[in-house]
Amino acid sequence: MNGIHDLGGMHGMGPVNPETDEPVFHEEWERRMFAVLMATFANGIYNVDEFRHTVEKMPAAEYLSTSYYEHWLHSLEKVMIEKGQFNQADLEAAWSSVSSAEEIA
Amino acid sequence: MPAIPVDMVIPIFTGGASSRLEADVPAKFKAGDSVVARNINPSGHTRLPRYLRGKNGTIEKDHGVFGLPDTMAHDGGESAQHVYSVRFSAQSVWGDNASPRDSFYVDMWDDYLDPA
Repeated sequence: MNGIHDLGGMHGMGPVNPETDEPVFHEEWERRMFAVLMATFANGIYNVDEFRHTVEKMPAAEYLSTSYYEHWLHSLEKVMIEKGQFNQADLEAAWSSVSSAEEIA
Repeated sequence: MPAIPVDMVIPIFTGGASSRLEADVPAKFKAGDSVVARNINPSGHTRLPRYLRGKNGTIEKDHGVFGLPDTMAHDGGESAQHVYSVRFSAQSVWGDNASPRDSFYVDMWDDYLDPA
């Protein structure tokens, strides 16, 4: 699809500034995001191309204003719902329980 | 797709895994062939970047046979086919704004290419 992910050759995105000694994960939740995604992936629920396409389908403004692992979270939620692993109501219930916690990370 | 056996999970994550297929599929192109990237604009998934559509390149290397992401992403099967490293001169893509000395190499599936 001709989405915002396919931004090769576009101007206005600013310089690429690689971090010095960049850590594998910037936040503890990113480490967990990696593990959760790999666990579901290893279970054969979906393939990497389905995963990538759900990232592509993110609304453009949201895609550009969220981080790499937030893209993963978005995609995982969408693909798991598509595959019938849980539904939107399950997801919202889970979110409401964590949003009341003092410390999510 | 099948689950990965438990004892293979850590080796795959630490050592990597190949998505290469063993299917015996004829190649449409060979190294040195001139090709043009198709101008396709599917609403589904593709790994053919917009900036290459309609651009001319040269087959540099045949990587072998792989599944096609365009069908894999939509429960459409593997569509096993050859993937090539295709060389595009920077100027063929970006015109005079690019250096005449630069080229880049993009992995392209058979379904992304026509003979030029």
